[in-house]
Amino acid sequence: MDTVIDAHNISKIYNPDTIPVYAVNNVHLHLQKGEFTALVGPSGSGKTTLLNLIGGLDKTDTGNIFINGIDITKLSAGRLIDFRLHNIGFVFQSFNLIPVLTAKENVEFIMQLQGIKKSEREKRIYPLFKQIGLEDKMNSRPSQLSGGQQQRVAVARALASKPQFVLADEPTANLDSKSASNLLDIMALLNKEENMTFIFSTHDQRVIERARRVITLVDGKVESDTAVVDTSVLHETEK
Amino acid sequence: MIFIMAWRNIWRNKMRSIVIIISVAIGLFAGIAVLALYNGMLHGRVRTVIDAEVAHIQIHDTSFKKDYDPAYVIVKGDTILKALGLMTQVKAFSARSITQGMLVTTTGSAGVQINGVQPREEYEVSGLKKKIIEGEGFKPGKKNEILIGKKLADKMKLKIGSKLVLTFTDSAANIVSAAFRVAAIYRSNNAPLDERNVYVEKETLNELLNIGNGFHEIAVLLYRDEDMSLVQQQLQKQFPSYKVETWRQISPETDLMVNTVDVYSYIIMIIIMFALAFGIINTMLMAILERTREIGMITALGMKRFRLFFLVLFETIFLTISGTPIGLATAWLAVRYFNKNGLDLSGMGKELMSSFGYSTIIYPEFPSDKIIIVLLIVIITAIVSCLFPALKALRLQPVEALRR
Repeated sequence: MDTVIDAHNISKIYNPDTIPVYAVNNVHLHLQKGEFTALVGPSGSGKTTLLNLIGGLDKTDTGNIFINGIDITKLSAGRLIDFRLHNIGFVFQSFNLIPVLTAKENVEFIMQLQGIKKSEREKRIYPLFKQIGLEDKMNSRPSQLSGGQQQRVAVARALASKPQFVLADEPTANLDSKSASNLLDIMALLNKEENMTFIFSTHDQRVIERARRVITLVDGKVESDTAVVDTSVLHETEK
Repeated sequence: MIFIMAWRNIWRNKMRSIVIIISVAIGLFAGIAVLALYNGMLHGRVRTVIDAEVAHIQIHDTSFKKDYDPAYVIVKGDTILKALGLMTQVKAFSARSITQGMLVTTTGSAGVQINGVQPREEYEVSGLKKKIIEGEGFKPGKKNEILIGKKLADKMKLKIGSKLVLTFTDSAANIVSAAFRVAAIYRSNNAPLDERNVYVEKETLNELLNIGNGFHEIAVLLYRDEDMSLVQQQLQKQFPSYKVETWRQISPETDLMVNTVDVYSYIIMIIIMFALAFGIINTMLMAILERTREIGMITALGMKRFRLFFLVLFETIFLTISGTPIGLATAWLAVRYFNKNGLDLSGMGKELMSSFGYSTIIYPEFPSDKIIIVLLIVIITAIVSCLFPALKALRLQPVEALRR
């Protein structure tokens, strides 16, 4: 299997000069292509911070993060934006679609940022909407969609850029159980059929149950890293 | 897509955007109204200078205007008049005898310029007849009649039929006095000139000056303003020993205004737009602050900083130029109306306007030739206004913006 993320000794410290708070403390993380991983832990355990560091949204204080062999901690701010655009898909907790654009335009937007031609964009959009089951809602504005539908569009947008992996920060937090289940079905299907790598931060038991690897964070440290071979059997692996 | 986003973004808070759009429209209307008013005032002033005061061209002996000595008559006057009669560009011309003197009545005295004119020619060149507000002008066969300005008449308490004495020196430097009777009182748009210029018949004045059929000035009116330089050059070439001047040289203050009024108009326009810029900056800042999370999200997704800058720029430009057609259209309609009906400013003080040589009724002219520059000022205002909000947006760190 190909290594997608290889993080060594990464830390994020807030208030380093006064009362240091280790949001992420000396974490090592190794993710292979096609993994379906959940980052779990109590509030304040460092899940979102770790996702932000892996996603290049925040700077580490120590350590290195290699994505497909490129150390993103060494990239300049400008190159990091470009790197994110071409390598990482994001799904945020609060949907975060652009409200003035239609669902289709939201998905198209990311491809346009990548410089993909109109004809190619058009070719890729419909299958994406078909995958998320919203082909009849392509021209709806986010305000005309339910929370679950918006989050599905956010997944389509994350996939539109053909990223190396998708980071999802509490994707089901604002969804009812039916919408959450639908979303997880779609992501699991994309993971299975297209071997897309997903990393979630979540509190949601439904997401944890669907994950094939569960990393538990406590006080910024990896408490456990569990590979799930079968949904009913969990095998503790070495930390 | 950035264009679409920018355009739709301005309609997210309709009321706020409409207020700014209306402000821009009003600002533009005010700016164009000022330009139109200046255009109209200046055009009116130039027409007064040409049609009622100076004419297009004047010819004098080179020494005459140094001290207005009546001895400096135009020696080849008849030859010049003949040449003017043959020029197709010339509409009318008037030969004038001129001297400086003292007007004396029982109530006082005043220094005046005495213009000896041939009524028919003078009426055609300076429209003197049209300016008469009391009396009928020179009557054929009647001697020693005088036309005086309203301001002078008021000052000297003169009425139609009043007697006055003019005292001046003749061509041989002898002091000459003669009594005249007021035949008419005129009023032009230039009160200082009315106070200073009196008109008598040339024949009468020439006798007193002892200059025979001579004269000191030829005022030339042309059919078209555009021919002025060409005719001046031709006359100067043909009669090099005389001073041939256009109204621009004779009335340099008017020429200066023609050349500088555009600058003043643009300065006013820039001041209006500068004030508006603060409203636009405020609106854009609020829009950016309200969308902090969204901006963080699009930066997180991979929108480069220059694209974000252009998003804010286009939004500001759209917001600013949306009011432009409204401002232009209303200004055009208002200017068109007042251009047809005139804008009466006599309420501001008739004396005040005429003391500067302006008519109290202004016919504003739409500044079509300046619209490109006006639009440029509007776009520059938008660009300048976007800088601070754009800087705010560019400084947002995605991770911090997403937390809000």
